Amino acid sequence: MDGKTILLVEDNADDEALTFRALMKNNISNQLVVARDGAEALDYLFATGQYSGRDTSIGPQVVLLDLNLPKVSGLEVLRQLRANERTKLLPVVILTSSTEEQDRLQGYDYGANSYVRKPVDFNHFIEAVRQLGLYWLILNEQPPARR
Amino acid sequence: MSGQTSERSLLETPLDSRSERNAVENSQRATLNILEDFAAEKCELERGQRATLNILEDFDAEKTRMAGAERAVLNILEDFASEKSQLEEFQHCFLNILEDFSQEKRQLEGTQRAVLNILEDFEGEKANVELANVRLEREIKERKRAEEEIQRTNRELSATNKELEAFSYSVSHDLRTPLRSIDGFSQALLEDYADKLDATAQEHLQRVRRAAQRMAALIDDMLNLSRVTRCELHREKLDLSAMAKLIAAELQEAEPSRHVEFVIESGLTAVGDPQLLHAAMENLFRNSWKYTSGHPTARIEFGSSVEKEKHSFLVRDDGAGFDPRYADRLFGAFQRLHTAKEFPGTGIGLATVQRIIHRHGGEVWAEGAVEKGATFYFTL
Repeated sequence: MDGKTILLVEDNADDEALTFRALMKNNISNQLVVARDGAEALDYLFATGQYSGRDTSIGPQVVLLDLNLPKVSGLEVLRQLRANERTKLLPVVILTSSTEEQDRLQGYDYGANSYVRKPVDFNHFIEAVRQLGLYWLILNEQPPARR
Repeated sequence: MSGQTSERSLLETPLDSRSERNAVENSQRATLNILEDFAAEKCELERGQRATLNILEDFDAEKTRMAGAERAVLNILEDFASEKSQLEEFQHCFLNILEDFSQEKRQLEGTQRAVLNILEDFEGEKANVELANVRLEREIKERKRAEEEIQRTNRELSATNKELEAFSYSVSHDLRTPLRSIDGFSQALLEDYADKLDATAQEHLQRVRRAAQRMAALIDDMLNLSRVTRCELHREKLDLSAMAKLIAAELQEAEPSRHVEFVIESGLTAVGDPQLLHAAMENLFRNSWKYTSGHPTARIEFGSSVEKEKHSFLVRDDGAGFDPRYADRLFGAFQRLHTAKEFPGTGIGLATVQRIIHRHGGEVWAEGAVEKGATFYFTL
């Protein structure tokens, strides 16, 4: 589990803190990188802006993506991510409050691997994070790096 | 004869005297004269006779001529008579022709009158048609205006709908986020500061958490209700019995410990939106499931009957029922006839059912009594 980064794209500070707490509760000690808006997320993924010079071979293991983000929306981040040769195979879990069919459809349409709704009940949230962690960090086999 | 007598008498008498001889000679002469006159007369008479004979001849000729003329005249009269009869025939024919003519004339007059009437009517009709045209034009204008209004209203409605959708979307999303914080950090407090919080403090925090969760449930329900009203209705033929059996199976699977007998009539079909009707049936079944949870065994029925002269469907249970005095509150949004402690729920289930049924053009109503179960009827 070590050395595998989780990219959390989340604008809400509370949600960020709670997600971190939930990961901790599940002993998921991977490095958590937080991007607080869509632009920051893209900067990180493509090693541009504030993240220029980043070693892009250390890609995140999984991207936890909120949809409602300032500057660049979650779906736009996803679209660009999928359009890029280097990042297009990254596992992306959309983690959002919204249950609107439109969002789900578009999320999957743009190439998300999974769509999870953030529950209000924190205990449920912890359970959701546990399952996500278990699956995407342990059970799921990462796509091999392109040569 | 007396002449002769006198002659004889003269001859017989002796010639006595010259006087007597003179007398005789005179008499002779007188007689000769008379004889001459007589001869002249006779000639005259003969002439007269000849003239008369001529006249008679002429007369005969004339008579013949006259007979001829008479014949001719008779012929002429005959011809005349035949001419007359011909003429009379002609006259008859002529009179007939005149009659026919006058009949024709009457017919023509009749036709003329009819034509004049038609023309009148036509004028009248023309005026009517013109009036109707004017009215039609006005109607068309009004209808166009009404159509434009309808279109405008439709545009406004769909714009409003879109706004509502956007509103619902942000409501659901934006309201949940702070709720998550409330719940999450309350939990964090409970966990991290358990030793610093006494039982009361912990109970407070639990209430905070429960309240936040309840609000989330309410938001979800409101969203569902609004979605039900907004979304498009797709009509299909549906097997309601099969749907009921599915829902029953799901309920039983979720709580296998409960003993509930499902009596589902087969072959019940309807035309409606599959998703919405499934939601409505599910709501009704879940209600029955919930309100029979207080009893060790329960019976939930799904069937059909004829109520209010309409073919209707029903979901019946023998559970907690409800006080019929408050029946009109049953379908109100967030209205409840039981407390959350007795039976959990937000009170949106029946409001959703009602909205779905109404969207299908049907009715929904309920009958029940406290602790004697409830029956929910609906038509489509």
